[in-house]
Order: sequence, then C-alpha cells, then structure tokens
Amino acid sequence: MAAARSSMKGDRRKAMLWSYVFLCIFVVFTLTPPVYMLITSLKTNAEISAAVAPWWIFAPTLAHYVELLTSPVYLTFFRNSVLVSMLVVAITMAVSIPAAFALSRMKFWGSATLATGVFLTYLIPETLLFIPLFQTFVWVTEATGIELINRWWVLVILYPTLTVPFATWIMIGYFSSIPKELDEAALIDGASYLQILTRIFIPVALPGIIAATIFAFTVSWAQFLYPLAFTTSTDQLVLPVGIITTLIKGDVFTWGQIMAGALLGAAPPLIIYAFLMDYYIAGLTAGATKG
Amino acid sequence: MASREVNRRRFLASSIAATAAVVTGPYIRTSHAAGKLEVGFWDHWVPGANDVLTKMCNEWAAKEKVEIKIDYIPSQGGKNMLTIAAEAQAKAGHDMLAFPTWQPADKAKDLEPVDDVMKDLVAANGAVSPLIEYLGKVGGHWISIPATPGSQIKGPCARIDLFKQHVGLDLTKMYPAGAAPDKALSDAWTWDAFLSAAEKCHKAGVPFGIGLGATSDSVDTMGTLFGAYGAQLVDAKGNITVKSDAVKQVLEYMKKLVLVLPPDVFAWDDSSNNKWLVAGKGALIMNPPSAWAVAKRDNVKVAEQLWSFPAPSGPKGRVQPYLPYFWGIWKFSKNKAAAKSLMRHISERSAVEKMVAASQGYDIPAFAKLNDFKTWAEEGPPKGTLYHYPPKPGQILQVSAYPAPPKIAAQIYTQAITTKMVAKCTQGGESIDKAIAWAATELQGFMRV
Amino acid sequence: MKTFLQRKSTIAFAMALPLILIVALLVLYPAVYSIHMATLNKSMEHFVGLDNFAFLFTRETFWMVVRQSVVFALSAVAFKALIGFCVAHFVHNVPVKGQRKWRGMLLVPWVIPPAMSTLAWLWLFDPSYSAFNWSLEQIGIPGVNWLGSPNWARFAVILVNVWVGAPFFMIMYLAALKSVPEQLYEAADIDGANWWQKLWYVTLPMMRNIIAITALFSLIVTFANFDIVRVLTSGGPVDQTHMFATWAFKVGIEGSDLPLGAAVSLFMFPILAVAATFILRDITRRGNEA
Repeated sequence: MAAARSSMKGDRRKAMLWSYVFLCIFVVFTLTPPVYMLITSLKTNAEISAAVAPWWIFAPTLAHYVELLTSPVYLTFFRNSVLVSMLVVAITMAVSIPAAFALSRMKFWGSATLATGVFLTYLIPETLLFIPLFQTFVWVTEATGIELINRWWVLVILYPTLTVPFATWIMIGYFSSIPKELDEAALIDGASYLQILTRIFIPVALPGIIAATIFAFTVSWAQFLYPLAFTTSTDQLVLPVGIITTLIKGDVFTWGQIMAGALLGAAPPLIIYAFLMDYYIAGLTAGATKG
Repeated sequence: MASREVNRRRFLASSIAATAAVVTGPYIRTSHAAGKLEVGFWDHWVPGANDVLTKMCNEWAAKEKVEIKIDYIPSQGGKNMLTIAAEAQAKAGHDMLAFPTWQPADKAKDLEPVDDVMKDLVAANGAVSPLIEYLGKVGGHWISIPATPGSQIKGPCARIDLFKQHVGLDLTKMYPAGAAPDKALSDAWTWDAFLSAAEKCHKAGVPFGIGLGATSDSVDTMGTLFGAYGAQLVDAKGNITVKSDAVKQVLEYMKKLVLVLPPDVFAWDDSSNNKWLVAGKGALIMNPPSAWAVAKRDNVKVAEQLWSFPAPSGPKGRVQPYLPYFWGIWKFSKNKAAAKSLMRHISERSAVEKMVAASQGYDIPAFAKLNDFKTWAEEGPPKGTLYHYPPKPGQILQVSAYPAPPKIAAQIYTQAITTKMVAKCTQGGESIDKAIAWAATELQGFMRV
Repeated sequence: MKTFLQRKSTIAFAMALPLILIVALLVLYPAVYSIHMATLNKSMEHFVGLDNFAFLFTRETFWMVVRQSVVFALSAVAFKALIGFCVAHFVHNVPVKGQRKWRGMLLVPWVIPPAMSTLAWLWLFDPSYSAFNWSLEQIGIPGVNWLGSPNWARFAVILVNVWVGAPFFMIMYLAALKSVPEQLYEAADIDGANWWQKLWYVTLPMMRNIIAITALFSLIVTFANFDIVRVLTSGGPVDQTHMFATWAFKVGIEGSDLPLGAAVSLFMFPILAVAATFILRDITRRGNEA
C-alpha cells in the first residue's frame, strides 16, 4: 500500500515537471504576438525599416503612443468604442436577464424551443446579414427621419444580436442552478416575479452576470465587419475599423504606429480581464457546464 | 394602447414634415447652390494632402453658403468599394463620391450626367485622353469627371546605383531631369530589355520586386504588360479573346520573369513592393512615388538613388499603367447643383496645382494643359526624380482589362484574372493552355447579367 | 385583462419579448431577405430562381472554397480541441496556487480583439520584414514563404485561428477537469489503471458534454470566420485560402454581384445546421439519461 502511494507521488511529481516544461513552451507561443506588438510599437520608423534585429529595440521611443494619444482622430475612435460597448452591455443585460429568468423558470408556449434555439442565431453569419440590414436601415431612415446610416449608434442596435444569445445562455445556466425551493418560498411569502428576480436571482447569480457583462463588452469592442460596413465617416468609426482603415493608407504602412494603435485598442479588454479574470472564466465555463 | 398609437403617428408625421422642410427649405430661398452637401473623397496617404482639399472645399462652401460634410474614405481594405456598393444598393448616402477607375462605368445607371461640367472643364483645361473618355463617358454622356487626387501612374521606380552597377544602364541619362528622353536608350527600353535587366539584378542579389497578388498594384503592372503586347482578355465588343497568341506570348514571357522574382510575390499586396524597395532589397518596383516618399522619411540613402521613369515598350507601343480616379454625383443626391459647383471649383487650374504640390507630385491631372506644373521638376532628392513620372506625348495610357466593356472589365480587375493566370502557369505548375482555359470560364461567368 | 397581465405565462412572454424581437427583426428577417436576394439576377431586377446556385456549382473556385472551408474548420477545431485538452491537463497538474497565473497568461489570445492580433501575425509573416524568417535565417534555415505559397498560407490561417481559439477550449476543459470527482481517479488507481486508461475510462466520459458543446460552438464560429482570413491573406494567393464568408464578400461586394454573394453565404447555413442538430441531439439525449 505504502509502495503504491509513494510511486503515485513520484508519478505526480514527474507529471508536474513535464507540465511546467510544456506550459512554458505554450506560454511562449501564446505571448509572442502581443510581445512583438509591444516591441514594434516602441521602435522608431527608421529602425523598423532597417530590419536589423526584429526582436530587440536599440533606440526605444514612445513617439507612436504620444502621436496616437494626442491625435483627435484616434481619441474619437476610442470614445466611440467606449460609448458603443457600454451601451450594448446595458442593453444586453436588460434583455438577457429577464429573458433568461423567463426561460429557465417560467413556462410559456415555445419556451423550451426558444431556450435551446436561442444560440442557433449564431448559425446565421454577419456577412449574410449586413446588406439586407443596410437596406432596411435606409428605409427606416427615410420613413422616420432618424439617421440610421453612417452613425455609430447604429452599431448599438446591431451588436446585441451577437451578444444577447450567448449572454442569455450563460444566465440560463446560472439561473437553472438556483434551487427551486428558494423562489417557491418567496412566492409563498407573497413576492411578485419581479421581486424574485431582483431580490433573489440577481444577487445569487452575480458572478454569472458579471461574466456575461464582460463577454458582451469584449465582443462589442472587437467587432470588425459590422462597423466596416455601416460606418464610413472618420468621426463615426470604432477602434478596430479605425485602426485598419486610417492607419494603413493605401500602400504605405507605418507599422510602429499600427502596432501601438492595436495594443491601445486591445488594452481595455485586457485590463478588464486582468482585474476580473476569475469572473470572466467562471462565466464562460459555468454557462457551458450547466447548460 | 390607442393613445400611444396616435402619438406614434403624430411623431412620424411631424418628423417627416420636419425632414421635408429641412430638405426643401433652402431650395425655396435661392436658385444658387446652397443647402447641405456630403462628399466622400479618396483618403490620400500623403500627410497633409487631405487638409489642402478640405481647405479648398470649405472656402467654396463659405462662398456658396453650403453646409458641407467631407469624409475621407480609404481604398485600403476595400473600404471605398464597400461604400460605393452599399450606397448604390441602398440609393442613399453621400451626394458626391470618389470612384476608382472602372466604377463610374459600372455604376453608370446610378450616376447623374455631368456633360455641362465637363464641357467647361475641357474648354478651360484642355482635352482628356481617350481612356478617360472611355471610362467616364457612358451612352454618350459624361457620368463623372476625372479627379486629380488618387490618379496615378504605376511606372517603374528604380535604383540608379544598382542599375549602373549590375545592368550597365544610367537611368538619369536615359530619362534626364528637365529634358527629353535619350532617343537611343529609351528606344532600347523594351520589355525584353526589362527581362534581361531583371535577370542581371537577380543574379546580383537585388531582384526586381514585381507583385503578383490580387491587389491593384499587381493587376496594373500585368495590365501594362498585356497592353504592350496587345493581349486582350475581352475585346471592346465583349467577345472573349483570351485564347489568343498575344496572351500566350505574354504568359511565356512571365514564365521567364517569375524565375527571377522573389518567390513570395504571389502574396504581395499594395504595400509589399514599397517595403521591398525601401528596405533596400531590390533594384526596381512598379509603383507611384509613394515608395520614394516613404524612403525619404525612413531610409534617405535609398531615397537619394530612386528614379521614376516610363514603363518599357512592347510591340504595340509604350503603355503606361494608369489608374485614374473620378468624381461622380449619385442620381439620388438631393443637391446636385451644389455638387456640380464644387466639382468646377476643385478642377480649376489653381486648385489642381495646389493638390499636386500637396501630394508631393503623386497625383496626376487628367487634362492636357495641366501636366506642366513645377512640382514634378523640383521634387527631390534626387532632384528631378519625378520629372518623367507624369505622362508625356507618345505614351499610351491604359488601364488593366482595357478595352473590355466596363462591367466586365471591373470584374476582371477586382478578381485579378491576369495575375491569377500568371500564378497558375508558374507557381501553380499548370500549363499555359490550362491557365487560359480557366480564365475563359471565369470570363464567361463575368458575362452574366 | 388584469389577470391576463398577471398570469405567469404572459409575464414570462413579456420578459422574453425583447430577445424574441431582436432575433426576429435583426437576424431572421434579414436572413430571409437575403434568401430572396439570392434568387435575383445580378442587377437585382429579375427573379431567376435557383440560377445563381446552379452557376456556383459550375465554378471551380466555388468547390475549392467549399473544400477549403471544410478542411479549415475541421482541422482548426481539431487542433484547438487537442491543444486545449493537453494544456488544460498541464495546468491541472500544477499546484492550485500557481494555476491562476498560468491560466491568466494562456487566455490572452482570446481576450485581444482578433482584428488587432491578426495584424500582429500579418507583421510577423510579412514577406520583407518577417521576424520569424529573420530568426530562421539566423540558424541557417531559409525563410518561409508564409503567405505567398498556397500550403503555407493555409497553414498560417489555421495557425492564427488555433492561436486565438485554443485558450477557449483550454478554459472549458480545465473547468470540466476540475469537476471530475477525485474518488473516481482513486478508485481507478486501486484497480491498477495507468494514465492512459484513466484518461479513456474516467476523464473523457465525464467530459463528453463539454467536449461536444465547445466543439460545436467553435465549429460554428470558425466556419463563418471572416476577420482572420480577410486581414491575413484576403483569400489569396489565387483564392486558395478563401472561406465562404470572405469569398462571398469578394464576389458580392467587390464583384458587384450581391445576389451571388448572398448565394455563397447561404451555403454555410445547411452545413452548420446539420452539425448543430447532431450534436444538440446527442446532448439532450445525454441530459435526459442523466
């Protein structure tokens, strides 16, 4: 018995050592592109063109970052991205939480199909939708006078199609795991459904809500095709499209600035992730394991 | 419920009325151009070039009392193509846009005729080349005017030192600054001479950087070669003529040229050849002066050795790879008068001269009397490097896929049929006949209506 | 009226209504419209029925795109699953205290917007300035034609997709691994099982659901991928890295033939629907058994 246990321990130790080795290899693979982005963004244009030593910086400079952070154009992109993402997050949560509550707890005609089918909207890709959507928005603009073309707030209407299904799915997972006894007790005490939702479910499922919020934010922030199709004027662009279309002009690339711009563009999701990593991961996983 | 419905209807009605008032109001006031105007220009890569155009437009807008909104739409990532397609489909968007090469003819039925503007411009600025007429005039009507910003020639831009050393040719002697070309040398500057120079440079480790990808630089270069040999994919009547000896001849030529080009040219985009030249890796690229301008900033030693000059000549003459831009007004625009007035203003000689100077000589005006600006003679270092960049008499200006009917040509261009044919019979290992057969099926597909 | 409003099913429906509206108006309606569009001729003036589809079937490029999309999606998802699974095990083997920082570093590709990180890869693969080629040349290996040769370009696109997506798999599998009860492993040890048998008889069965769901989600997203291919290769060289989404864009928008573009995009749909039904059926069956 003791011999078996000690060989188990030896096995465990070997497994751990090999794990560290492979983990280091994978981390190098994982972090090479972001690190390279950082290195390039700190180099002068001349050094980049000379291509002497791509992995090393001889004369570091913050010029690219300064240029971007003092450029009103780039800051407009940032502002637009922030506005769009935050509004989309608000809308997503306002739609997903009640819907998830309804689908996980309350039965109505078609609720079972809706619950499993909600994520099937992901089967219909954006490349299919943006032309008919453009046409529809034009028609609505003409009929009501509300400008829906080439305005950043159009994205606020569109992005929820991408965030709401998965957010709802995450919330359904969390809500399903709350024991039914809790709401039955509350009902007996005379609580309305709204009170059950706000007093019981939301506090208990708070990690899931935070996770869904982070997910919605990250997806909105990273969107490329919809803004590419729907916004043209420079002052309406969001970051991903802004960087790729304005920093890359025709046949002239300024890689230092592009990399700096890309890193700054990736910063908000990364920062949120760094601080709220546990919620982020919990949300992704819980939604799936329970759902 | 009922009251909400009434309120909504009232809101709709009042907002429609308000919109109508805003749109029609100014028209009632005066018959001159006024009201609002939304324009989308090509986003110039030269820093400061956009600002000059903005200033001119704002001056015009102040004078005409028009509320103008200017967007600069880049060609990178196909953004301008996307905008054009979306606005044509939705019949809504900007009033006036910049259209690349084949687009005006492709979208002719959505564009407002501008014969009146062209008549005045030609009278003031001189005639335009037959190519411009071919691209900008459809069904007897001008549906766009040639634009200066963005119109470029993708001729050779080469290293004086490397050519002297490895090819034994003095570029500054063949095409001297401020003077006519040396007859003997320039007559000898044919595509065969190009091939032999490429071979010599390849041996010396500084090959030519001729892209064979799917972006416009590559397609334009092939267009020049095809044009110089009279190899047409589709003729002016719309017949598929790709199975011709001229096309075979060009593909045989390319098989030899590809051997002395860098192996990754098939993935090159519009910036790759620039980077190639600026990094000092090659002796020649086919590009407008943007590469030289970047070298000026990042690698002056290379910049000082660069020289722009005309493309080689072939059996059908000296064809220059021209890429014109146009300005057009959508039929759905609500302020065509203002748009036409703006077109006139930014096509005046003084305006064009300012734009060319701001672009450091990159932009090429389409009108005959506007090709003598000082900019090209004076830009440097080295001084005179751009003197032979703008077109001169005796050169044939052509666009890739010419003379196919515009709708078919637009497809040939965007689908990069020429470069793909070359890729198939070189890197792809297929026979020339097979590549031509493939092109024929693709072209048949483009005939669809 | 009042009781109707207070009835449970009405309230439930009202709460789910925004979701239903969003999906109906912004997803289903445009999807149906695009089906209609795919039956029009190029100038969108006449109805031509299934002509666009018939035309696509005669195109060599179309079949190439089908093959490429399927190969890309299947191989990318397979690699992501494999790598995710292995790395999850490695993280699981490390003492719990240290796991957090490893997890943190390994999830970074998933957090960075793909459009931004693909730019970094584009720069790393650049024909003239590739840092990878520079490093290879330092150790005497000639540079690779990353984006110019068809097979390397396909490899590059799959590589970037795997880089972005594998962390997702890793996180999911890690969570699932943690939820496998320790007693099962101890029982297996007592029975004298080696690590391979433990994996096959304990770990994999417990994780079946997660493996299926993650693979399905990833298959859908990978199959419809636009950003990575568009930024990295634009479908080149010579259309050999085109997927449905990017080719639809090229043919539809850049080729001024919107109905044809719509027709191309629609082909994604049935393949995904089939995959989705199979895996979903498997999950619900398993859920009912449990």
